[in-house]
Amino acid sequence: MTDAMTPGPTSEDPVLAATGSVPNGPGEPPALDATHHASALLRVSDVRKVYGEGHTEVVAVADATMAVDQGEFVALLGPSGSGKTTLISIVGGLLSPSGGTVTLGGSDVTGLSKKDLTAFRAERVGFVFQSANLVPFLTARENLLYVASLVKGTSRAQAQARADGLLEELGLGARAKNLPEQLSGGERQRVAIGRALMNDPDLVLVDEPTAALDTAMGRQVVELLRREIKGRGKTGIMVTHDLRMVEYTDRVFEILDGHLTHVEEPSALRH
Amino acid sequence: MMLAIREIQRGKGRFATIVAALSLIVFLVLVLGALADGLFYGATGAVRSTSAAAYVFSGDAEGSLVRSRLDESDVAAVAAAPGVEQAGPVGVLLTGGAGPQGPVDLAVFGIEPGSAGTPTTLVEGRLPEAGEAGAAAADTRLRDDGVAVGSTIAVGGIPATIVGFVADSSYQLQPTLWTSVGTWREMRDAVRPELRGQPTAISAIAVVAPASTDLAQIAAAVTGATALSAEQTGLAIPGVEQQSSTLNSIIYTTLAVAGLVVALFFALLVLEKRELFAALKALGSSTGRLGRGVILQAAIASVLGVVLGALLARLFGLVIPPEVPTLFRTDTLVTIAIFTLVAGVVGALFSLRRIARIDPATAIGGAL
Repeated sequence: MTDAMTPGPTSEDPVLAATGSVPNGPGEPPALDATHHASALLRVSDVRKVYGEGHTEVVAVADATMAVDQGEFVALLGPSGSGKTTLISIVGGLLSPSGGTVTLGGSDVTGLSKKDLTAFRAERVGFVFQSANLVPFLTARENLLYVASLVKGTSRAQAQARADGLLEELGLGARAKNLPEQLSGGERQRVAIGRALMNDPDLVLVDEPTAALDTAMGRQVVELLRREIKGRGKTGIMVTHDLRMVEYTDRVFEILDGHLTHVEEPSALRH
Repeated sequence: MMLAIREIQRGKGRFATIVAALSLIVFLVLVLGALADGLFYGATGAVRSTSAAAYVFSGDAEGSLVRSRLDESDVAAVAAAPGVEQAGPVGVLLTGGAGPQGPVDLAVFGIEPGSAGTPTTLVEGRLPEAGEAGAAAADTRLRDDGVAVGSTIAVGGIPATIVGFVADSSYQLQPTLWTSVGTWREMRDAVRPELRGQPTAISAIAVVAPASTDLAQIAAAVTGATALSAEQTGLAIPGVEQQSSTLNSIIYTTLAVAGLVVALFFALLVLEKRELFAALKALGSSTGRLGRGVILQAAIASVLGVVLGALLARLFGLVIPPEVPTLFRTDTLVTIAIFTLVAGVVGALFSLRRIARIDPATAIGGAL
């Protein structure tokens, strides 16, 4: 399945391009899909997020249920205001849901205290933000080392070796000593990917990684993300509203007005 | 911690601003402190640098050595009072004299060498011996007027040969001359003709007694007399207490300003880094970790400010004309350094609330 999804000659399929149709129709509802993924690493069950109360109540996420297997790189696709940011924030331990549970590798994330959530994020989640959000006064290498210092018991030598390895792999070996302002947008986003992978997390959450990049650079970055996430057996979720980027993912969860509507194969969304 | 230190290293310009502001404040405070100390020490040296723990004054003197009038016969009565270990006569005369290089301002102290009221800060030569007439120990400040051991200073034509120097012994900012009661009286008679014919008059009585002694009981030994501890006697010198409290309130207000400056600086810095701090929190940095970084930065800025400010103040001290009574004391420097550090750290503590309020969830979605 993985191979079939890799962008290849099929993505230029003249029939698909011509019709722009959805060949295999709308996918299953995520809740039904979740039942097929009995051994999923990430399981989101009936997660709700409600802001305000009474007549000012706003339901940001309504009863979201989804499952993502280890080694999968999925997209969470929806227009702005659809609740995708809220959902990913809950999954990443940045927000507490109003109801429901999130489990990662069998352990419940929603019950954690604020302090434990901080440690959880440092140790088990890697984040790639919209604008890379690197520390401007740290070099590329130091940006990686900083997140390593957030995990207790990391040896300095180990962290340095890992940072150097990651930068090399991301094609930034020569840029390790550069400050973010000396890097291009794509290079910054690559440093951010390295930072997300630095603590060897189970889950990598990617928020609109291409928002600040042009299409070519965006494709490069997302392709790299896919390679790194799948190559390391991580589980990745990318929030995006950019249909062009979903072809690099294994599955696409669509969200609209707070409801997870269905799960698609990326090919179904090609246009 | 790496974060805090790297930020300073790579943002030297902005941190230079806060260090410059702090060093100017420290400089100002240290110069004010030196002036306060200079005035205080210059005014009170003669009552602090002797063996006397207390002084007995005539009732109408209001604690002023210059105004007090007692008689030599009162010394024995005071010596017999409970708790008194030693009592000695003190004569004080504010006057001018003729030094080797011309006229000098003087405060002449007539004492009984070896008894209560004898200076304890001899730095050169010796003190006049008991009963020795025409000899005097001089305040070290008189060295600036060309006075040396063996020089002669004359008051109203009565000469005294300088046999030694005592330090930190000014009285009301005038350098002192310590001589026998006999020589003091001759000088007094020479410059204050209206006081002639009082061969047993003295100004006050110096007392050596344990700190726990009841001063009222000592004062009761002489009819109508009052007694003050040496410290109170210093503060009773006109202007001393007022000067100290005025200058000290300026100093502490200025230090509070230093705290506010630091608070404002770091509040702005945190405000500017809200987005970054949100991202760092999302990555798993705790509020405590980010807060400790800010406090470390404030401490570094304060320490640098103190060092530079102290250096500036010392350099300034070298160019202050000697007529301005300034005294740079290590005690004062240490106190001001501690207060600046505390003000800086307390100022930075105000940023903690701001950091705590930053919501890591704002790092996602790109909207703050």
